[in-house]
Amino acid sequence: MAVNENGNESIELLTKEADHLKQKLEEERQKLNDVTLATVAERLEHINFLSNIKTRRHLKGHQSKVLCCDWCTDKRRIVSSSQDGKLIVWDAFTNNKEFAVSTPSTWVMACAYAPSATHIACGGMDNKVTVYPLTHEDDSAKKKTVGTHTSFVSCCMFPNSDQQILTGSGDSTAALWDVETGQLLQSFHGHSSDVMAVDLAPSETGNTFVSGSADKTVLVWDMRTGQYVQSFEGHFSDVNSVRFHPSGDAIATGSDDATCRLFDLRADKEVAVYSKESIIFGANSIDLSVSGRLLFAGYNDYTINVWDTLKCVRVSLLFGHENRVSSVKMSPDGTAFVSGSWDTTLRVCIFHL
Amino acid sequence: MDMMISNLQQQRQINEQLRREAAIKRILVSQAVQDILKYIQEHENEDYLLKGFSSQKANPFREKGGCSIV
Repeated sequence: MAVNENGNESIELLTKEADHLKQKLEEERQKLNDVTLATVAERLEHINFLSNIKTRRHLKGHQSKVLCCDWCTDKRRIVSSSQDGKLIVWDAFTNNKEFAVSTPSTWVMACAYAPSATHIACGGMDNKVTVYPLTHEDDSAKKKTVGTHTSFVSCCMFPNSDQQILTGSGDSTAALWDVETGQLLQSFHGHSSDVMAVDLAPSETGNTFVSGSADKTVLVWDMRTGQYVQSFEGHFSDVNSVRFHPSGDAIATGSDDATCRLFDLRADKEVAVYSKESIIFGANSIDLSVSGRLLFAGYNDYTINVWDTLKCVRVSLLFGHENRVSSVKMSPDGTAFVSGSWDTTLRVCIFHL
Repeated sequence: MDMMISNLQQQRQINEQLRREAAIKRILVSQAVQDILKYIQEHENEDYLLKGFSSQKANPFREKGGCSIV
């Protein structure tokens, strides 16, 4: 306890204690840093056949930049949002557009498919997260504003059920909302700048989520208490994307500093950096294959880099988009991934011989 | 005075957070890495983007060419 001779806490003593704690934290982390991931993975065989990943669907229909996309739990449908203010639901098997929803705003930066597949959620520069039912009746009155931030909504997702939505915002907070009542169930304060991305832990209890921020840090939160339990530094610029490793024990990130990284929760530290000298543009969006071996990252240089997460080398470079890649998402069963781009289109890629 | 109290409260929260973070249990990086490796090796065969489809039937995006009119 930081207490002075009068029995009172003082700023000075507290600051001193904070410095000491920070130093101790770093020492403890270094003490356990006995190997690197790449050396352990040395004995593994190289992945060398990834020229087989090819575009199988090219989804065209948005009038402006595609900003976000998400898969339906049916592993078939995809929702995308765009700067043109529209949401489109695609059937990725047939290329058909099944629904188009016009929102009153532009810059729809976030969208998510509800687990029941009956609703979609979106958010953006209107500072709101809104839920739309997927019905063919022309009834935009059925839309529902679930939550409102004091700045833009950068990301949204349904954690586990249709009943709740988790959002990240330019107001530096994340928030958990009740869909039915629109009530704010919990807000998460800790970042000092825009929250850019959130992801839920893959465990069945689902009480942990992670957030990435323009303050360069990654925070791991306990959804019940509203407090963060771990923090990770390492990136030199905005953290644009965060994804839990399918094992639940690590977090992959993509950043404006042109690197992707892997942070291990139990070792409480960074265990891998995925970068190359030739890659100088920021990574906007990342996702992992179902085993966690491959990391797909969409960059501002219009490319998608595929990384071997274990050997820490790039195994493939995918071209095709004609502008920034804004969103990369793995299908729920890992058969395909979709990428959305500022070139107004989406591409669905699979492994094809 | 109010400013000082709020600063003090803020710093108190920061310290509490740091104390919590300093108190968490950690494991060796070698152990953590082994566990990641093990998980990946156990799931590699289900990873279609890594291994491809076991047969064309397993590929939901295959071109269905063989339509015939009965």
